[in-house]
Amino acid sequence: MKTGKQRALYVLQNFLLIVYAIFALFPLIWMVLITFKSDTEVFTTTFLFHPTLANYQEVLLRSNYARYILDSVIVSGGAVLVSVIVGVPAAYALARYNFPRKEELAFQILSYKFAPEILVVLPLFMIYQKIGLYDSYVGLIWVYQLISLPLLIWVVRGYFEDISVEIEYAAQVDGYSWYQIFFKMLVPLIKPGLVSSALLAFIFAWNSFTFPLILSSNKVYPVTVAIMKYLGTDSAHYGQLAVASTVSALPAVIFALCIQKHLVRGLSFGAVKG
Amino acid sequence: MAGLTLNHLYKRYDNSGKKKKIKNDFAVKDLNLVCEQGEFVALLGPSGCGKTTTLRMIAGLEEITDGEIFIGDRLVNKLHPKDRNIGLAFEDYAMYPPLNVYGNVAFNMRAKGVPKEEIDRKVREIAPLMQIDDLLDKMPVKLSGGQKQRVNIARAIIREPELLLMDEPLSHLDGKARQAMRTEIKRLINKIKCTTVYVTHDQLEAMSLADKIAIINFGVLQQFGTPTEVYDDPANEFVASFIGEPPMNILETTIINKDGTFFFTFEDSNLQIAVPKRYYSVVSDGFRCKMGVRPMDVLIGGPDSQGTSEEIATFENLGDERRIGVRVGDVLMMLITEDEKRYKRGDVIKLEVREEKTHLFDIETGDRIREKN
Amino acid sequence: MARIQLENVKKAFGKVQALDGITIDVKDKEFFVLFGPAGAGKTTILNCIAGIAMPEEGVVKFGDEVMNLTDPAHRNVAMVFENYALYPQMTVYDNMASALRSKLYKASEEEIAERIKWAAKTMKMENLLERLPSQLSNGQKQRVAMGRALVRTPNVFLMDEPLAHLDAKLRNSMRTELKEMQANLGSTCIYVTHDFMEAMALGDRIAIINKGKIVQIGTGDEIYYMPCNEFTAQLMGEPQINIFEATVAATNDGFDAKINVCGEEITLALPKDDNVYSKIKEQGMVRCDIGIRPQNVKYSFEPKEGYFKSTVYSYESIGNKSVIVAECGDYQLRMIAPNGLNVEIDSDVYIKLEMDHIILFDFESKEYIVRYDEASFIALAASKEEE
Repeated sequence: MKTGKQRALYVLQNFLLIVYAIFALFPLIWMVLITFKSDTEVFTTTFLFHPTLANYQEVLLRSNYARYILDSVIVSGGAVLVSVIVGVPAAYALARYNFPRKEELAFQILSYKFAPEILVVLPLFMIYQKIGLYDSYVGLIWVYQLISLPLLIWVVRGYFEDISVEIEYAAQVDGYSWYQIFFKMLVPLIKPGLVSSALLAFIFAWNSFTFPLILSSNKVYPVTVAIMKYLGTDSAHYGQLAVASTVSALPAVIFALCIQKHLVRGLSFGAVKG
Repeated sequence: MAGLTLNHLYKRYDNSGKKKKIKNDFAVKDLNLVCEQGEFVALLGPSGCGKTTTLRMIAGLEEITDGEIFIGDRLVNKLHPKDRNIGLAFEDYAMYPPLNVYGNVAFNMRAKGVPKEEIDRKVREIAPLMQIDDLLDKMPVKLSGGQKQRVNIARAIIREPELLLMDEPLSHLDGKARQAMRTEIKRLINKIKCTTVYVTHDQLEAMSLADKIAIINFGVLQQFGTPTEVYDDPANEFVASFIGEPPMNILETTIINKDGTFFFTFEDSNLQIAVPKRYYSVVSDGFRCKMGVRPMDVLIGGPDSQGTSEEIATFENLGDERRIGVRVGDVLMMLITEDEKRYKRGDVIKLEVREEKTHLFDIETGDRIREKN
Repeated sequence: MARIQLENVKKAFGKVQALDGITIDVKDKEFFVLFGPAGAGKTTILNCIAGIAMPEEGVVKFGDEVMNLTDPAHRNVAMVFENYALYPQMTVYDNMASALRSKLYKASEEEIAERIKWAAKTMKMENLLERLPSQLSNGQKQRVAMGRALVRTPNVFLMDEPLAHLDAKLRNSMRTELKEMQANLGSTCIYVTHDFMEAMALGDRIAIINKGKIVQIGTGDEIYYMPCNEFTAQLMGEPQINIFEATVAATNDGFDAKINVCGEEITLALPKDDNVYSKIKEQGMVRCDIGIRPQNVKYSFEPKEGYFKSTVYSYESIGNKSVIVAECGDYQLRMIAPNGLNVEIDSDVYIKLEMDHIILFDFESKEYIVRYDEASFIALAASKEEE
């Protein structure tokens, strides 16, 4: 039972949404188009060009691109793994126990995310060089905790707080030890939050640029920094640059699409509702 | 003059956007109700029955699908809530936290640009009535649940509305405070004599407060009458079991004819209750229906009683009264007694039923079966 | 199955003394009710018994064994939590099986299935076993929580307000069912509630708790008829008992009580009762508080011999009967009346107090002194004990 007015409104709404979608997606589409162009055609603004896979061949087969990707995977994955191992117990402690200066501590953890990376990275550079962490996996994984740990702790803490403490009591009375309760009862309940915050942390770590740019050079070469290589010293290979960027963005995009539903829900809802 | 008239009121939620089609999508269905001027009417029903939707339609917060709403003589279907001259006291109708109680009560008139002295006079007038005179300077966060509700109601009635609408105003209060507030509301409404519609799911609240009760289920009005009417003369099984605590005993029965006298008989039980004479015109041998009788009307017979012997399944001593449960088939039939005698599980008592107080309900529809005139 | 003893248990949370010297002795197979207002410390007592809370002082004993240092898992107690505490990720069946699948209380899957089948039948929830807790109504959750406790054979069942979140009707019918089940339970049970009807109906004995202390322990009848102080008297009974001040004066052959009704002094003769009279003489009583239950207050709307005048404050139904509240100046008198009377608020009402049902309390300490017919109520309470 739609009136004419409602129908007009409906059409207008969708029209505006389509305009916005084109506006938002255009740079990405353009980048993907560039990957198929030869260097001579890069600056043409028409959609007509001679598609070529030369850029892909150059980047994926003839350079060290696979190694860069692997480095990114190791560093980002390692960072998330460490965050989960450290962050989940920390979040549990913050949610369940009362100790002096608890809220201050929680705030301090969050505050790691406040400082601009560029501000802290210079002193870190000096320190890393002195203690030998410069240009090492451990060094980057460590510094990435600034990015992933606060996020994970804050999201997971909320999940723990939403689980009523009586559930733990009930399990104790049922004859389970604390470790059994933690892994059998609590971990399944925080899983949505844990998974979504871990994936988000992974994406943030993956996209990080400032830290690896300054704190690593030859031995560890995450893909975000590696992309710079394709700018070249003499000429800019925009096609190759576009390929490198597109491929490096893929994991984040795929993850985000796969878990889109869970991501939004996981970050905004508690575990035990209703 | 009627204070509020609802004429064939319908509410249907637009489900076109949802994938799942809900079969019965009428939240309110053909609701007709006439509240006299100054009457206190309770809309009573289980959660999701459409009572709050009805109230919101009267308030103008919800669109009407079909039908008419009159406040006094005015048709208000198309009026904006602020033009309907109604006072709202909703459960979640929060106070403005930055204002003190005085500011909250005065807020509405200030917004309308009523002169300051006039506002002050009215607030001072209403404060003692609602017993909030000492609270006027307090901030909302400092108030108890009961005080908040009083301020809420003061805010609703200060505009001298034609119609006062209340939605579960007591549901956030606990036992004692709730009872005290119930008494206060009753006295207050009695004083200001404003037509009031009060939504609740608590039959006790409706029974104790209202002049008339409209019992709603699945959006359909089941019965509209005074508390005594709905208690003593329920229109159907739903009303009978919804009103009263403990609820009416309702048992499936087969009526048998023994030498010209009809008896209720029950499966897996030797209990027999005589059918009141007035129902003889509607029953027959082998007639299946449901029999309802209130626990107050089931009695323990003396030693020479003619009643059936039954074994006690539960005995609850509640101090003021004692409740006894007897198994009739697989139904627990309850009775209430103020007799001081203490029984225990397994004791045998003679069960008597005040036959004239039994009701008959259709076994399929649950509608009341009445005697033919 | 075991006798549960608490000796002088103390527990504080920060500066709040939650339990202040609790001593109870729950007999084997007894249904023991802890009753008191919110925040009295009832749940903390349960938690101390379950081992969830650690008392700072005092002893918790199961049978002859001191349990203070035993962790909850090893105490073999089954607990029903106020918020049900069902495991949200597990089906009802798995929830109920949880304890029997733990290392400590391990049972074979066939045995688990059998026990769950029995418990589900007892709680009338056979059709719920495959559901998740989020798909259950409050009443059903409550059944599941009870069922989860029932599948075990613990030292003691601990139940923390299992009916509190249900609406009045469901609560009352569940209480009746619980009462019926109680006989089959055949196990020690400690039950926390703030609803006096639950306490009265279910408890073999009731302990009244207030502010972390035990006020009175006794059977329902003892506490209802002989409350140890005014606080207890007011907790038991709905509508509440009427308590007001009086002065006592000797007459030729007995005593009179004088009370104030709306500024007017009313003289009421205290009927003869040797026990009451001797208590009055013994104490040289001049002032006291009188407690009288609403069912012993009679009303009339016409002036009548022996009735005094007051005004109606309110008249409202409390279900199968109604309460008239009369304004008496400093206090109000509640009395029971039938439903459906035509009573105008603020109209006159004439009241008679049945003085042979009153309870006398100390004016200062608010403690119980004596009641009429005390001997017969002691006998009544004792008859229950024998069972």
